[in-house]
Amino acid sequence: MVFNSLSFVFFFALVLAMHSLPLPWKAKKVNLLLASYLFYAAWNPPFILLLWISTVVDWFAAQALVKAERVAARRAWMLLSVVANLGMLFYFKYGNFLLQNFGAVVSQFGWTYQPPHFDIVLPVGISFYTFATMSYTLDIYLRRAKPANNFLDYALFVTFFPHLVAGPIMRPTELVPQFTEPRQATPAMLRFGLALITLGMFQKIVLADSFLAPAAEAVYDGSKLPGMLDAWMATLAFSGQIFCDFAGYSTTAIGVALCLGFAMPDNFRFPYAAIGFTDFWRRWHITLSAWLRDYLYIPLGGNRHGEARTYLSLMVTMLLGGLWHGASWTFVAWGGLHGLYLVGERRLRAMFAGFKPGAGTLLLLGLFTYALINITWVFFRAKTFDAAWQILTGMFGAHAGADPILSTMRLTTVGLIIAGIVFAHWQLRKRTLEALVAEVRPLVLSGVLGLMLFAIVIAQGEGNAFIYFQF
Amino acid sequence: MPSSTSSSELAEGLGAVHFERPGFIRLTASDRPGVAQPVPERHVPERPWGWVWLLALALFVALMAGWELYWRDYGAVPAYANSDSSWAAQRRRIDQGEGNALVLVGSSRTLFDVQLPVWEKVAGERPIQLALEGTSGVPLMEDLADDPNFTGRLVVGVTPGLFFSGFAFREAAIKYFHKETPSQRVGQWLSQRFIEPYFAYYSPDFALETVIERQDWPVRPGTHPRKDVRKLSVSEADRNTHMWSKVENDTAYRDLARSIWAQNFTGPPPPFMDTPEKARQVVQKQIARAAAAVDKLRARGVRIVFIRLPSAGDYYAFEQKTTPRAATWEVLLQQTHLPGIHFEDYPQLQGYNLPEWSHVSSGDALRLTAELAPLVEKALAEQTAKP
Repeated sequence: MVFNSLSFVFFFALVLAMHSLPLPWKAKKVNLLLASYLFYAAWNPPFILLLWISTVVDWFAAQALVKAERVAARRAWMLLSVVANLGMLFYFKYGNFLLQNFGAVVSQFGWTYQPPHFDIVLPVGISFYTFATMSYTLDIYLRRAKPANNFLDYALFVTFFPHLVAGPIMRPTELVPQFTEPRQATPAMLRFGLALITLGMFQKIVLADSFLAPAAEAVYDGSKLPGMLDAWMATLAFSGQIFCDFAGYSTTAIGVALCLGFAMPDNFRFPYAAIGFTDFWRRWHITLSAWLRDYLYIPLGGNRHGEARTYLSLMVTMLLGGLWHGASWTFVAWGGLHGLYLVGERRLRAMFAGFKPGAGTLLLLGLFTYALINITWVFFRAKTFDAAWQILTGMFGAHAGADPILSTMRLTTVGLIIAGIVFAHWQLRKRTLEALVAEVRPLVLSGVLGLMLFAIVIAQGEGNAFIYFQF
Repeated sequence: MPSSTSSSELAEGLGAVHFERPGFIRLTASDRPGVAQPVPERHVPERPWGWVWLLALALFVALMAGWELYWRDYGAVPAYANSDSSWAAQRRRIDQGEGNALVLVGSSRTLFDVQLPVWEKVAGERPIQLALEGTSGVPLMEDLADDPNFTGRLVVGVTPGLFFSGFAFREAAIKYFHKETPSQRVGQWLSQRFIEPYFAYYSPDFALETVIERQDWPVRPGTHPRKDVRKLSVSEADRNTHMWSKVENDTAYRDLARSIWAQNFTGPPPPFMDTPEKARQVVQKQIARAAAAVDKLRARGVRIVFIRLPSAGDYYAFEQKTTPRAATWEVLLQQTHLPGIHFEDYPQLQGYNLPEWSHVSSGDALRLTAELAPLVEKALAEQTAKP
């Protein structure tokens, strides 16, 4: 079930009604758990089995891990969880990709291997919930957290529908404690939660799907070579599309949880006002970058073993982070480019340690960061390296005589929306949305909410899946 | 307020131990490396949210009322969406006990011109309407050919420019049907009961982005914008569809519809058909696809008839020039060994009002169906059960 669907409107209304009934807290949690399974099964009922496998394996692994006294036994239980989760992820997400690449590698040695193509359907959200369940076992293994008191709280942590299929990737310590005591949204929480849902849906349905996606599709999925203006505008459109799509999902998820009385973490913090790439990764998909940092980068050595090892850890983390997004080398290239940016940034830091930039310089550095991030989006959006190369060369003026592609309407709407997004991010780069809302006159808030609702309804979205569902 | 960003912000590594964000009122996991993340903070701004929402909803309702009235004044009426979901709902009937039904496939002429209630009255059976506008009937035949549940009778509408080129604007509906999720089915059910019968604005032509795109924007030099096909029809819950009254009664709108068709009448043919030999190969390929589907269907005892519904004016002239009957329709019948009903061969299928040259008016669609149904039923009845 996608948030931007009529089914979800009815589902959520029903869940809210059930959650407000005067039932024991345990019954409410059971309701939420069943609702979450229904939410997931609404895509493809058989895949609920995978969710159960991931849930049960980690529950028992964590229980055994706590009881185990020997280091080897603890490690074995931890590895069981990691292998089970990554095994599922690899089978469903990377099976064909691995076989194809195996075939390509052996062909280099003169062997002919034609890999079979399995028609494997990717279970929605598998990359998200496997990471969430793994964090449960890993936090216990690392002695950062205690196991949940009961299976219900743990299962609800894994399955809680607001974060289940596209994050934010929750840690057990963030959510399990919220299930121990009865929680009910106050009227203010409910109303602000609904405001967040409205904002998230506006970003997704109106900005991402209606106005930005068509511009990106016209250039990236078309057959014409793009000139500089078209290549840049399509890439900027995609930068806005993926932000509005994914941040829109996260904002909606946070709003949905808030309406039920639960708190979920920020997943985005105005990333297009980032100055540098470290800053960007503290603002973009925060829960994934923090997950990769805590469970991959730091165990790899982090920045504790000298510069060379730090760079290696950074590159490995970002390359794998790229691969997490999809079974394609273009995603790996996207991650690799971000890794190189981060390494380059560290080198520059060392070279210009005393540099104190002024406000104007910071703004220029921020816009330069945004431009370089757009370069990475080319690899993220293009389906092949050839397609990416066509766009990239177009962005740098290689197709001077190319026929124009985007219409005046597309150029205008993309330009206005992107300028609006970047401006808003700079206005809010050190604040929260809540801080801004607290200062806005109520009448203005009403006007904005009313207009956003109106735009959502008349945009007539077709329930397009969020981009990150495919990951 | 926050202080300015320091250069150290540029320099922090992904795994930095500590990160200060002076003045920033809420930290996240990105600020707390290598530790158990606490329960997140969520602030609710102190605003009179009850009043805020009350006014917001009042504004929303007022704007929606204005929007709905505007489109009703434009001529729109509440109607069921001709969506992939609605097509899938009809397609599903074949797999849910109606595999022996009479099924219509083809493009918009079959969709608009054939009126299901009239057919039901004349022939005693209400067909399942699976025609898709702008879409060749060939992929629809192939889909049914691959479905062993379908053992009924099939009427295939042939719009020459689509059928013999393989153009399939709505082919995604077939894929949608095979991958439709339970959630999407529920959404379709809800939409048909709570939204579509009541709101006139609910049409892709009146969607925000479409409305903005269709404004009189200056043309970017070097681009050659084409106008999209406008709303031409009104559908019912089971996809029984007829021409929208605005096309019949509003001369300017009718002329716009004609001018949109006329975009295809001038200029070079598409690259894959830009030489006579290429065009012949494309036509032959589509006929071969149709014949292969026919073989599968006939092997199951499915009776099939092709129909060629009327066109007029410049559209008819264009079809005569680019897809002459002898090189397309006749070859199709010859290679599939199936009967065909061409409007040129039957006086009772001629003389109808086609406001925009391609589809008959809603009133004439009733008369046309009453004449067509007996011809089709007779052709199907005369066909042997097995080839």
